[in-house]
Amino acid sequence: MSRQDHIREFAANALTEKRVDYFIGWKQGYNSSEMIPAFVTDPAEADQLVWNPLCHHNLVTFIKRNMPEPADAKVGLCVKGCDSRTLVALLQEGLVDKDRLYVVGVPCDGIVDRRKLEKMFSSEITEIEFPERGKVKVTTRAGETKELDQKDVELIGCAHCRYPNPLYSDNTAGPLEKEPDREETKPDWSALEQYESLSDDVKQALLEKIYATCIRCFACIHVCPVCVCWDKCVNRSRQPELVSQKVGPKENLLFQMVHMFHVAGRCPSCGACDRACPVEIPLGLLHAKMNKEIYDMFGFEPGVKLDEKPVFQVFDLKDQFGD
Amino acid sequence: MAEATNNQASGAATTGAAPGGAGAPDRPVKVVGIVCNWCSYAGADTAGVGRFKQPANLRLIRVPCTGRIDPLFALKAFEKGADGVLISGCHPGDCHYSEGNYYARRKFELAERMIHHLGIPPERFKWTWVSASEGQRWQKVVTEFVAGVQKLGPREGKAL
Ligand code: SF4
Ligand code: SF4
Repeated sequence: MSRQDHIREFAANALTEKRVDYFIGWKQGYNSSEMIPAFVTDPAEADQLVWNPLCHHNLVTFIKRNMPEPADAKVGLCVKGCDSRTLVALLQEGLVDKDRLYVVGVPCDGIVDRRKLEKMFSSEITEIEFPERGKVKVTTRAGETKELDQKDVELIGCAHCRYPNPLYSDNTAGPLEKEPDREETKPDWSALEQYESLSDDVKQALLEKIYATCIRCFACIHVCPVCVCWDKCVNRSRQPELVSQKVGPKENLLFQMVHMFHVAGRCPSCGACDRACPVEIPLGLLHAKMNKEIYDMFGFEPGVKLDEKPVFQVFDLKDQFGD
Repeated sequence: MAEATNNQASGAATTGAAPGGAGAPDRPVKVVGIVCNWCSYAGADTAGVGRFKQPANLRLIRVPCTGRIDPLFALKAFEKGADGVLISGCHPGDCHYSEGNYYARRKFELAERMIHHLGIPPERFKWTWVSASEGQRWQKVVTEFVAGVQKLGPREGKAL
């Protein structure tokens, strides 16, 4: 039985038994190369749910403030390894109600970076298939077909994923994936090295260039499963005004730093913000660095243990920071 | 991400980013100090009463507790054109509200590292502890910090 079959079965059973009012998973989008979130309320519709390496959406974002209505609905949802860490982060702070959730964990073998794929072809991609595990077959409108190794077209965070298996779930869709030895292999931030080696002036010029294009659409913030203030967001506030409504590189970078600092200790670098950004701002450049430094300071990885508190909500008298 | 930074990094390199020194305006630097009411602000007061000479470039912002100092205040100051930002509060163990600075020092440490990540040199941001009685220490901290900022000169921040 494939993972997809497991998901369909869990969803159908949960809906039939009225364990949940609706179930959130992934389904095919407007074409065969795009998956989108699916809300299923009828057990008969559970067979529209899919699972494949295009299911990048972090569905935890839909439950972050107990939405949608009614507020007392019981919700089922699928989580991958990285998604489950955002869920654990919400649970650590009591931001969602565990008793109203039914979680299907989906062990994950890596997610395809569709944008990376699109840039490899001059014509529009019409179909993406997965003939066998680890292989991606792409067909374009011009009729071109090409088979690629999944590893070459994965999201940047997948290459060194430490938690491919969900850390919190009620049921698991199929066998677990092989995990790295987390004692042996420390987190890998080699993707940051190139930026980190730049001089201060080049960094500033580069950031100016990157942040000039942000249109302040708030997609990164809305899609972020652990950014939870909504209408109380200081990024929207004019009184007091921390971030100006003006859209320019400085304001935009400050805006993004607000997001970064406010999710510090909760953000596991799930990458949802990167993928949501319409102008392809590499937000991971900030979030990965933040997690690297948090790991260096506390040996802490966000959203891993249910009984832990995020490091900025607690303190230790033995902390050795400052002079 | 790696590719995005790659392309744009080489782009930035060829456009020749002017270093903060060359072409920067010749004026005294502006330094913002964010201090807690109970220790460092009082420490600055002690220094004043003791008539210890201090640099005139420092503008102090008084905040009720070190724990109330949001690292974003520092970034906001940079965005508004500060050449340097100094944060100071009560020594660990001396917080008027017992534990504000224990939370704060975790945040300040992360802030410092992220500020450097943005290409703002270490000399332009400092956080430390000065108590109400340490007028002399206050004088030393601000004199050294402002001198360090002055050495780099006024800041021509391109991003933040
Ligand atoms: S900030 Fe981005 S990477 Fe971090 S949890 Fe939010 S969406 Fe995921
Ligand atoms: S998603 Fe991108 S463009 Fe939209 S606000 Fe965030 S950084 Fe700016």
